[in-house]
Amino acid sequence: MSQLLKLEPAWGTCDCFFVTTNEVVAGELRKKYATKAYVVIEANRQSPLKIAKMLWQCMKIVLRERPSAVVSTGAAPGCLVSYLGRLAGARVAWVDSIANVERLSLSGRLVRPIADVFLTQWEDLADAARGIEYLGELT
Amino acid sequence: MIFLTVGTQFPFDRLVRAVDEAAGRGLLWEEVFAQIGAADYKPVNFKWVGELPKSEYAEMVSRASAIVGHAGMGTIVMALEAGKPLLVMPRLPEFGEIVNYHQVATGRKFAALGHVLMAKDEAEIAARLGELEEFKPKERVARGEKVVERVAGFLEALRTQRTPSPPTEAQRYRENRRP
Repeated sequence: MSQLLKLEPAWGTCDCFFVTTNEVVAGELRKKYATKAYVVIEANRQSPLKIAKMLWQCMKIVLRERPSAVVSTGAAPGCLVSYLGRLAGARVAWVDSIANVERLSLSGRLVRPIADVFLTQWEDLADAARGIEYLGELT
Repeated sequence: MIFLTVGTQFPFDRLVRAVDEAAGRGLLWEEVFAQIGAADYKPVNFKWVGELPKSEYAEMVSRASAIVGHAGMGTIVMALEAGKPLLVMPRLPEFGEIVNYHQVATGRKFAALGHVLMAKDEAEIAARLGELEEFKPKERVARGEKVVERVAGFLEALRTQRTPSPPTEAQRYRENRRP
């Protein structure tokens, strides 16, 4: 989330909403940006049942909000909302988290084929042939 | 004061015990204060708490002469932004400390760039602690302007024009005639 907030100059003037896994973070976002912040269950690939629940939650959010764009720095909810958003007609900008130093994240690798903008924050992970750009780092 | 912080979600007893032993052997130049999170091992050679509130955590960071922690991105960025020397030890899946090896990769990368010191396991902790007092972390310069510009440009293009208009007949004709 801290990396996503560094992108504020990009999305700050848009009509936007947040999806996070943390209730406290969601509260701070609602207060700070006077906008909607949805909370979905915390889950990773080790817990398929929770992922299924997260998928259901994300589906409801996307159907309700009908976003025209999805911007994410990663992890499971970012991946699901990117795919669901894409199905609903949204375009996707993905900035793979700085934490992925040797290889793109799993969610990043999954989202890459449907992303309109795909950035890594490590120069040696950039790959022009696969549309992976390096333009700098957020943190 | 040396601030030991290991995150609060999962225990990281190997690091807490290794630093406790080093403190017990008098290897440290200052006293330690620790946030040990969910650790089962309780240190005997310095003061510790389970979890600090955010504001007190920030105060500990600013008061510390050095920080010891796990090789998580949050810890590394926090120490770099505060300009504090940091020694990291990666959590490993074989001890149930984490689900994969990404902390090994993160620690190795930031150590290679001169931003942090890394001990790959508890056997290396004592030696690395010895280097920590004199360690001058290389400053990290994050240049995110172009990343922001790229995403902003993408969103702006969507706003002004949901889909790029297809080339006109004349443009297609010119394109095809180009040698």
